[in-house]
Amino acid sequence: MMLFKQREYLKYLLPALTVLALINIFPTFFLYIISLTNYDISQRVEDLSFVGLENYRYLFSIDKDFWKSICITLTYTFVSVTVELILGSAIALLFDANARFRKLKLSLFIIPMIATPSIIALMWKLILNAEYGVMNTFLRWMGCAGRNWLSTDFALVSLILIDIWQWTPYVTLMIYSGLQTVPQEPLEAADVDGASWFQKLVWIVLPHISTIVSITLLLKLIENLKSFDIVYNLTQGGPGNATELLSLHVFRLGFKQTHWLGRASACAVILLLIIIPIVSNLAKKISYSRESA
Amino acid sequence: MKRKKSPIIPVVTWIIILAALAPVLWMLLISFKQRVDIISFSVLFKPTLENYKTVFQKYDFLRFILNSTIVVVATTAISVFLGTLAAYGLARFQFRKKESLAFGILSLRMLPPMAVVIPFFIMARYTHLLDTQLLLIIVYLGFNIPFTIWMMRGFIEDVSLSIEESAWLDGCTRLEGFCRVVFPSIFPGLAATSIFCFIQSWNEFALAFFLTSFNSRTVPTIVNSFISVLGVLWGEMAAVGVVSILPIVIFTMFVQKYLVKGLTMGAIKG
Repeated sequence: MMLFKQREYLKYLLPALTVLALINIFPTFFLYIISLTNYDISQRVEDLSFVGLENYRYLFSIDKDFWKSICITLTYTFVSVTVELILGSAIALLFDANARFRKLKLSLFIIPMIATPSIIALMWKLILNAEYGVMNTFLRWMGCAGRNWLSTDFALVSLILIDIWQWTPYVTLMIYSGLQTVPQEPLEAADVDGASWFQKLVWIVLPHISTIVSITLLLKLIENLKSFDIVYNLTQGGPGNATELLSLHVFRLGFKQTHWLGRASACAVILLLIIIPIVSNLAKKISYSRESA
Repeated sequence: MKRKKSPIIPVVTWIIILAALAPVLWMLLISFKQRVDIISFSVLFKPTLENYKTVFQKYDFLRFILNSTIVVVATTAISVFLGTLAAYGLARFQFRKKESLAFGILSLRMLPPMAVVIPFFIMARYTHLLDTQLLLIIVYLGFNIPFTIWMMRGFIEDVSLSIEESAWLDGCTRLEGFCRVVFPSIFPGLAATSIFCFIQSWNEFALAFFLTSFNSRTVPTIVNSFISVLGVLWGEMAAVGVVSILPIVIFTMFVQKYLVKGLTMGAIKG
């Protein structure tokens, strides 16, 4: 009890920290350990044995699908984040230029982002269906050829399109709120000096919202690397392994075909190792934004 | 940054919004269609409530909703309580390494579900917690507590310390001071935080899918019930979608003001 007298904050923090240590930090630690074993779903924990870095060696040198899945994950992440950032910012500027029904418009616009992803994924499956999906009917009506959206060649494109549909509103919302904090005086001064809209954007607005843009970017990168719900329900990583993102590869190794929980854990550890530097970067940006707020 | 008034801008904006809503509206439409009409694209059809009826009668959708509600309400209540307590500690005390601790907590929110699902699966198997609501409640605390801590920290920091201090001078203890001074001011924030926790847990799929099998399935995992050998039962699926998205959409309207704060866990002002 002496401890609590001296460090009163512990009284408030300890309950939450204890729970978090038990349900987040301990399992993560456990994941690292499993990744060093040959654990299989059918095995009892008593029977597992340590195999050192064997699982990692398997991933890196034997499992060709692992490298493919890294490539797919990176392509998926970079393409969708780039498009979302550009499109989202453009739409934010558009929203900003016209303030009428602002609240209503934003509430409607963010519905793709808040709708239950697993269910939305199945709706997209219907929309993208090659024979009777509304997407192809619409394209033909516009005079374009329909596509086999969920085929090996197009499945990843479809996933990227869905991600763009789902998350552009997020970027828009963030950038839009950033735009609201841009001070008016420099803009008015620039008007007096006869600056064009584009000049004002580049020299006044962009520097002001740069922190919020980079925070949005980092959060979105993490979100893409984590993604599972939509991909699983739309393609299960297929056809073949055309859309097998890293988290889907974890799923395939551990649960779907083989039951190698050890190897799946190693793959999950790699996923964590990719995310960690982004998170630490995010921490820096956020502390900067908090200090300057 | 306002531009010259032009009639094109509102028109373009509404077209974009409509495009964003199109898939959801399509789902709404399909949920009222009869099985034979689903493949056709006509907007003119005889609406039916058949799909909604089947979903509740044949697929026991109510049980999914009940499971989801129990899990979501319990996890939200516990995280908001523990999270607010910890947020108070972070907001009102100064100590060494405070910011590192706060970011450590924040980073826990970024854990990919597929990374925690394996250890949880194994541990749950050995404690016989697989397929229980309790397990999902525990697992969901993992991402909701960091979230509430960051959200509530921001709201508490916005309450001026000096008012709280004057309450202490009047003989209030910290707890009394919190209840009388801080709590009324952070109440809207608390409500918003709860709604965000609700939405996140309501939509969560991956963990629920791997850690439950029959007894405690939640709404997002119902999608598997509709994939039969005959293909997907689209009408029923759409009905489920509409029912599950409705509470979320309504709730989001309430937290409009806090959306940005919620999406960044209060890490940036918005």
